[in-house]
Amino acid sequence: MKHCYQCGRCSGVCQLSKVQKYTPSKIIQLILEGFEEKVLNSGVLWDCLTCNQCLKDCPEKINFADIVRIARYKMRHEANQNPEELIAHKGIYTTIAEIMSRPYIEPKRSLKWVPKGCKVTNKGDILYYVGCLPFYEYEFEDPLSIAQNALKIICQIEKKPIIVLEEETCCGHDIYWGQGKLKTFIKLAQKNLEKFEKTGATTIITACAECYRTFKIDYAKLFPNLSSKFQIKHLIEYVYDKWKQKEIQFKKPSKTSKDVEFTYHDPCRLSRFLPEEINLTDKVREIFAALTKLGYTFTEMKHNKSNSLCCGVNSWMNCNEKSKALRYKRMLEAKTAAPILVTSCPKCEIHFECLQNDFEDIAEIQILDFSEFIVDKIEMINPKTEGEKKK
Amino acid sequence: MPKTKTKIKQPNFNPEILVFCCNWCSYAGADLAGVSRFQYPPNMRIVRVMCSGRVDPAFIIKALKDGADGVLITGCHIGDCHYISGNEYARERFGRLHDIIIKQLGIDEKRVRLEWVSASEGKRFAELITEFTNQIKELGPLKIL
Repeated sequence: MKHCYQCGRCSGVCQLSKVQKYTPSKIIQLILEGFEEKVLNSGVLWDCLTCNQCLKDCPEKINFADIVRIARYKMRHEANQNPEELIAHKGIYTTIAEIMSRPYIEPKRSLKWVPKGCKVTNKGDILYYVGCLPFYEYEFEDPLSIAQNALKIICQIEKKPIIVLEEETCCGHDIYWGQGKLKTFIKLAQKNLEKFEKTGATTIITACAECYRTFKIDYAKLFPNLSSKFQIKHLIEYVYDKWKQKEIQFKKPSKTSKDVEFTYHDPCRLSRFLPEEINLTDKVREIFAALTKLGYTFTEMKHNKSNSLCCGVNSWMNCNEKSKALRYKRMLEAKTAAPILVTSCPKCEIHFECLQNDFEDIAEIQILDFSEFIVDKIEMINPKTEGEKKK
Repeated sequence: MPKTKTKIKQPNFNPEILVFCCNWCSYAGADLAGVSRFQYPPNMRIVRVMCSGRVDPAFIIKALKDGADGVLITGCHIGDCHYISGNEYARERFGRLHDIIIKQLGIDEKRVRLEWVSASEGKRFAELITEFTNQIKELGPLKIL
């Protein structure tokens, strides 16, 4: 942080600064000048979206999102602030995560959603991590279709039972970033890893951008030997690898299908929040380029890849008219690009779909998760009988 | 925290139960139970709300998180709501809470219950509390803290 020379670029690119008064550079300056307590007491840092746009454009690579995360921990534990009014949905989802972190609580998730034809075990090689999706069913429309389609894809490719844990706990992302409850996060991480180790899995696949980033980077910080035990893959990465290994290919669009034109919204957790060597934004675009050759039309939005706009809400914090303005902006951009918006973060999808209830002009855009989008576009390459179609 | 630790060791376990009563029916029912001197266990704490529709699922989950062993929500009978349809909302919301959140969290679903008690049912209120407390005693402490 001491490298900051007040170029003010972060305040310029900050997505939140477009809708309210919020200047990261000024906050850094205040902290450096010794007014840390004043900044913490003012509670201004609860507003941050932690979208990491400022890090992307910072010439000195100052990680402001990390500063915010640490500050939130301090604000909660030292300045005794409790941001309960700021938590969206009355804090129901963060409370669920906290309950799951308690030692005697063992979640019993129902596996009713598992689609027909997919076999599920609790011991094996490949684990599909569902995340919080079963709990979202409480008030959102059909979030489990993401999990269903992701599992369909994996089953179709692997042809063997996939591990889906009944007693899976939350990854702790929202507690860690939004709430500043580090201890709860560590408990959740320990619980999760114990369960993963019991199954004997080597690969963990998730369809959620936040879970992916949490496993890949935040858990690796806590448990240094994690990456040697498990391979963590996002569904995009998994499909990409299988495609490069020539195990699958993409189908041509049928004449009747309507989803020919589409655009892609990069979630912050899969673009700005990952180190450059993982490069999921390019991988997903290679998949899309292959689809374009087959007759689909992929249009980029004006802000794409690591410049993409934020969906407006982070870790169930601050869902208000300002975040809606940000979301509306993103949706208008999507509207000019294509009738279908593909994203790979379940939360982005939820946030956008929620906004569609409020504004009629963007209600026509169809919002799909990557798994929902790609599921009927994949076919297996079978060496014996070529082009045999499955499902 | 120390309080609950001793609680787990105790053989005579005294559950902590939170009861949400609607102002118009159930709270009056509880009042009647008191006035008519019906005996019921003292383990519960009543929170008065204006309508059972006011009870947000977040309250219930938070109560469980903070150490309540059971949560009981009481309201007017369907059709008798002072605000016409508040208890219908409560019922619908509660059903989803039960099926989707409480069950999947691994918390016994008997710990959270929705009941209708009218203002004249003082006797029933006392019986209900007795029965619910006994049920929670059988289930044992929630061991959440």
